[in-house]
Amino acid sequence: MATLIFFIPLTAAAEFSFRGDFGKGHSFTNYIWLLKQDGFLENLLITLQLGAIAGILNLLLMVPTAVITNIKFPKWRPVLDFICILPLIIPVVSLAVGAQVAMPEFLQNSQYELAFFFVIIALPFTYRTLDNALVSVELKTLVEASRNLGAGWFLTIVRVIFPSIRTGVIGAIFLSFALSLGEYTLTVLLHWTTFPTWTVIASQQNILGAIALSVFSLVGAVLLMIFISIFANKRNKRLNQQVEEEFA
Amino acid sequence: MNLDAQQSNRLSSKLELTDISRRFGAVVALDRFNLTVEPGELIALLGPSGCGKTTALRIIAGLESADSGKLEVNGIDYISKPANHRDMGMVFQSYSLFPNMTVQENIEYGLRVRKMEPAKRAKIVGEKLELVALGSKAKNFPHQLSGGQQQRVALARALAIEPTVLLLDEPLSALDAKVRTQIREEIRRIQLDLGITTIFVTHDQEEAMSIADRVGVMNQGNLEQIDKPIALYNKPTTPFVASFVGLANRIPAHVSEKGNVKVLGQKIPLSPFSSDIDGGKNVVALIRPESLHIVSSNETESTVGTVVFKSFLGPLTKLGVDIGEGLIVHLNELSKEVRKIEIGEKISIKIFAEEIMVESA
Amino acid sequence: MKTETVTSRSDVIARRSFFISRIPLPLLPFFLFVGFFLLWPIAVLVVRSFKGKKNEWTLANFDAALHGPYFHSFVSSIKLASTTALSGSIIGAFFAYVIYKYAGNRLTVILDSISAVFANSGGVPLAFMFIAAFGMQGLVTKTLKNLGIDIYAGHFSLFSFTGLVLVYTFFQVPIMILVFKPALHGLKKEWSDANSSLGGNSLTYWMRIGIPILTPAFLGAFLLLFASGFSAYATARAMTAGNVPLVPLVIGTLIDGNVISNEANLGSALAVGMIFIAVITMSGYLLAQKYASRWRTK
Repeated sequence: MATLIFFIPLTAAAEFSFRGDFGKGHSFTNYIWLLKQDGFLENLLITLQLGAIAGILNLLLMVPTAVITNIKFPKWRPVLDFICILPLIIPVVSLAVGAQVAMPEFLQNSQYELAFFFVIIALPFTYRTLDNALVSVELKTLVEASRNLGAGWFLTIVRVIFPSIRTGVIGAIFLSFALSLGEYTLTVLLHWTTFPTWTVIASQQNILGAIALSVFSLVGAVLLMIFISIFANKRNKRLNQQVEEEFA
Repeated sequence: MNLDAQQSNRLSSKLELTDISRRFGAVVALDRFNLTVEPGELIALLGPSGCGKTTALRIIAGLESADSGKLEVNGIDYISKPANHRDMGMVFQSYSLFPNMTVQENIEYGLRVRKMEPAKRAKIVGEKLELVALGSKAKNFPHQLSGGQQQRVALARALAIEPTVLLLDEPLSALDAKVRTQIREEIRRIQLDLGITTIFVTHDQEEAMSIADRVGVMNQGNLEQIDKPIALYNKPTTPFVASFVGLANRIPAHVSEKGNVKVLGQKIPLSPFSSDIDGGKNVVALIRPESLHIVSSNETESTVGTVVFKSFLGPLTKLGVDIGEGLIVHLNELSKEVRKIEIGEKISIKIFAEEIMVESA
Repeated sequence: MKTETVTSRSDVIARRSFFISRIPLPLLPFFLFVGFFLLWPIAVLVVRSFKGKKNEWTLANFDAALHGPYFHSFVSSIKLASTTALSGSIIGAFFAYVIYKYAGNRLTVILDSISAVFANSGGVPLAFMFIAAFGMQGLVTKTLKNLGIDIYAGHFSLFSFTGLVLVYTFFQVPIMILVFKPALHGLKKEWSDANSSLGGNSLTYWMRIGIPILTPAFLGAFLLLFASGFSAYATARAMTAGNVPLVPLVIGTLIDGNVISNEANLGSALAVGMIFIAVITMSGYLLAQKYASRWRTK
């Protein structure tokens, strides 16, 4: 009986995506249509670029900050926690207005201003991921041990810090990249065109193609997340096993 | 109406488990487990993790079902009774108390469920609080109490419903060492006062041996031996019990002929429980530290060794003696007798035992 | 873990200047970045909202915001947010429970991933899927028509308030599942065992133990859903054509086009209004979280 109740949410979700597939089911031309539209490639490229920039910026900014705070300035953690929750509280719409009225002209004239804001939007997620990774690894103790054994700062960073937080870093980059790719609100309110906004406009001419794309992106995202979860779990298990074997 | 007599009748129940078996998938948790608990007895179920002791307890409580077997309380079949009709009090290892209720509300929970009226409830709660000496904490919440206090409240709550059997699942394992000793004595005291049949599950031997009437040693779903603590210690009936209860040195030995074992140059009779090993076999002898003693160097059939460590334990001192081939043997002697012995010294030791338990090598 | 709650924007500004003098050097890049791209825009926003057409200090913007059509949009937004928060939290709690109780490890991972994606699906793909299903030409609409039910006969339209409720609920539920599941895991098995051995049953468990313990987490999640429903933009934009007045949409129209336009100040006021509501809601959420975990210390 439990399995029955259980299938309801599953079928609901499946049904919806199935209906979406209605467009795809008829023919693949819907997909191809989208690919053929003007602006597909150009918008896809600029979005990928923005996503990459945002991802790298995020990395450069957050990894040192998170690591250094964790090790050297633990008292600042609450401040960081608070600031990184702000983008979740402040509605993106408000941020958009703020961006419009506050950013200097030269910035507003370039599409790359989006990258900076993507970083801000991704902040809560990236920081949370990094912080979790750092906390679980008890970095401070490891670093102290390493320094105690005589390793200089450089060695410590390369051999102790990096490997420990690798999964966290990968997760963080990935999250921020994914977020940038799907970001619609801020982009549209600042009157820029990226892949998501372009698809909305283009699809208003061909609803089926748009649906096909949506379904595709959703299914793809789900598969990707499942893959990441499994990968992260496997890696954790493996790491734990290694640690156990070392200390058994 | 003699409430006390009634009460003690109800609380002192006889419990019988017959051939209880339970498996989880491919893992056999209990394999034809048999146990009889006499009225008013405190039985401890002792064993390593995974031996089935907690499963047995939960089956008694009704929180798990058995695949097969019989469970009777005072002759009444309980196997098909749902857990909430069994009137058994249970104390858990941790998270015993309901966090959203005060101590008082926790204790009266079982009574409220039985729709007892408030005045009567309050009286019983008061009694139980006094029993565990926590009267002043009635209005506190669990998170405001220490671990030991929480467990005492859990005990009060279990006793409030006047259960037929009291079940304790490693109640002290999550507590500090000192608190553990205090509370286990309190539990025993209360148990004796009320005469309530009790089953106490633990992996800590000292706990089991110090308060139980009888201790049942379990291993991999089987009850290896159930006996008074002293019998368990002195006359183990299986190798597992011999090495699990108390400390045992494991010394390579040889069964020269059936019924005798040659170990450390001495020939000693085999314990009757391991006599089914034929002559000519190599075995491992299990020897308690207190069966070994330091003797003078010209004693016959003694073994020479070097003292490699010395550990002061109060009245006794534990010595580790290296007798060659990487074998280090432990023995305990009275501290005042070995005061002058230094590490690195050569001494002679000998086994003083009437029979030896062995297991195959 | 939060010990502060923001009470006003000026607080943030004050705090900022106090901090700048004490920030350790390595952390400076972070604070500079966040300060410039997050705190500064918000600060300017607040200032602008108090400024009139001739750059004078005024409360006229807020006055306009709280009356007439703009006020109406606030009301609509709040109605939408609260309705979908309610539906989302109840349905989501139910699903979360079913998953918690019955799903094996693998299935849980899959469902978690699905929830995570749908929760963040940024309205656009979601909106399209719903149009595909429930739009005038949608699959469900057509199927139901064949069965004799015409859902468009009455007042229903996917592109109306009701339609939005339907779609919003669809992404609120996964958010609820994600947020509420940890709370369910906080229900210790020992409590349900104790309830059984003391003579209670399912009903007594839920009424006396389960629900009281879960309530703070539930309320917190509800507030979170409210904030989410209130601030959502993309879905509404993709699905309505201006026929449903919502604050995010209104702001969108106000800042469309010329940045130096006079309406930017009004937009700022509305944006500040949104921030205000969001802050109150989120503070409530954080408080609820703290309250819920006070029992968790052992």
